[in-house]
Amino acid sequence: MTRRKFALLTGAAIVGGYGGIKAQKLQKPPKLPDGPAGNSAVAVIRARSYSDDLASRMLEGIRQCGLDVRGKRVLLKPNLVEFDPATVINTNANVIAAAVEVFHQLGAAEVKIGEGPGHRRDTLDMADDARYRALIPKFESIFTDLNRDDVSSVKSFAGEEDFYFPNTVLGADLIVSLAKMKTHHWAGATLSMKNFFGVVPGSVYGWPKNKLHYYGIPESIVALNRQFGRKAFAIVDGVIGMEGNGPIQGTPKPAGVLVMGSDLVAVDSTCCRVMGIDPEKVSYLRMAADLGHVRSERIDQRGETIASVRTNFELTHDFKDLRLA
Amino acid sequence: MGELYLESRQEFLRANQNPDGGWGYFPGKGSWLEPTTYAMLALHGTGSDPVLDRAWKLVRSWQRPDGSFRPSGEVNDGTWVTAHAVTLASVRGIDDASVRASVDWLLRVVGAEHNMWTRTGSFLHLIKARLDVSHEGWPWREGNATWIEPTAHTLVALKKIAGHYRGPEVEKRVRDGEQLVLSRRCTDGGWNYGTPNMLYFDLPSYPETTALALLGLDGVSDPAVSQGLDVARKFHAETKSSLGKAWLQIALRCHGKPVPTPAEGAYTSHDVMLASLELLGHPKGNYKLFQVGGRA
Repeated sequence: MTRRKFALLTGAAIVGGYGGIKAQKLQKPPKLPDGPAGNSAVAVIRARSYSDDLASRMLEGIRQCGLDVRGKRVLLKPNLVEFDPATVINTNANVIAAAVEVFHQLGAAEVKIGEGPGHRRDTLDMADDARYRALIPKFESIFTDLNRDDVSSVKSFAGEEDFYFPNTVLGADLIVSLAKMKTHHWAGATLSMKNFFGVVPGSVYGWPKNKLHYYGIPESIVALNRQFGRKAFAIVDGVIGMEGNGPIQGTPKPAGVLVMGSDLVAVDSTCCRVMGIDPEKVSYLRMAADLGHVRSERIDQRGETIASVRTNFELTHDFKDLRLA
Repeated sequence: MGELYLESRQEFLRANQNPDGGWGYFPGKGSWLEPTTYAMLALHGTGSDPVLDRAWKLVRSWQRPDGSFRPSGEVNDGTWVTAHAVTLASVRGIDDASVRASVDWLLRVVGAEHNMWTRTGSFLHLIKARLDVSHEGWPWREGNATWIEPTAHTLVALKKIAGHYRGPEVEKRVRDGEQLVLSRRCTDGGWNYGTPNMLYFDLPSYPETTALALLGLDGVSDPAVSQGLDVARKFHAETKSSLGKAWLQIALRCHGKPVPTPAEGAYTSHDVMLASLELLGHPKGNYKLFQVGGRA
């Protein structure tokens, strides 16, 4: 066992969702694989404030990406982490409210919201604290605590013969990852792909979902996206993101954008470029390069250019070498 | 005083028992062992014997050949809820071979970090957290690391059944588990899920896990327990978490600490686990069932 492997397996697994192991990023190898056929559309839409008309901006981006949701059962998956409304840890309630409105407007058969936080068990009160109940119409009737939903098994996931996922997730036709644009002191950045950790049920795997740490953080991110990425869409809340010691203890960083697309690898790679991070150095993006596009020449950028919205997010010491040239 | 509070929650639980005898986390959902345990403890001694008998029959059907318990009928794996089943057996006065198999399973399971590699790594400062990995504790699932909540539930269960086991193993694991909980205390005096420090930054404690840690430390005489109780009282006054407040009511009462009686009022949530824990933590509730030899 190498020192790096040791650190990955022990430290990461023991300290749970907070992480702390330097070895989660890779030095940039010479070339990424080509990835899937064709290019991926990613829309970068400017939204300077949560009081902007977010629904119109979101609609503009979704149309630029050519997403058709008519007749589909849509599950919105925000990033709800902590009781702390004064910070930018959680996906902003205005973004979720706008998404509910937009997906109804686009003809979805139903629009639900689901989340299963990694550490805190009181999901509903946390949603209340994040003003979800106040700002999202009929919130309680459309929300499912994914940690405590009924479950069904999926075969051969994360090294398990049977792995269990919430029925609300398995039954959705489209899962919209409403992630927050944040740095992550373990993975480099947490965006739409990492947000899928919240679909793993705590009632089976605990708080934190330690099984994922033992399987490996990048490995789990990729496995979850291999499982659900084909029926996913991403809308990343970068209106105000988090820099520094994210995903919980960092500081607010206005980026003034919503980033969206059906290729979550391409969306997260684009977000990284907006944040001044080189996506080709982020281990889980490299590992997911067969699922979607990391390289900029394979991404059809819609809306704003990267150059016009790029704002370097502060990186912790361990991740300084992720900085995009 | 408190009749509406108690009756509305008891009625909510009785009305939402599933036909199979168990309770889901929410009405209309499938039965799970965790909410079923709390509902059974909350209704214990309230004249609900047929209701509880049906629930116990379902719980027992979830035992695996290795003694562990599945968390629901849909899940095949044995998990941390095995401790709940042992606690229920103790409350119901059952001590048979199947209960002993569950205790044996609990005694066999340890946090995965309790191995030579991790202890050596900790010694050499390869793990970027101040973490004492010398104690065993219990994981959510076999093969994973130790965390506060499953360790606390297991300590409660093992302390309750310890009188039936004359060998040293139960006592040894209990004492070591208590030391683990004490070692995972946050610098603010409370407990979070089990990582008080990461990247050499101190992490804050949470209300619900502080309460659970204190339940696991029932009977322990240590200044850390007194400090933890002070933190718990502060959390109780300030937390926005209904779940946290409910667990704090239980823990503070079990430690004999004064805690305000919950405000009178009918139950308005749809959360089965919360209704049960709020019932258990009421001054007239069954919170003592979490204690060694506790009777409702």
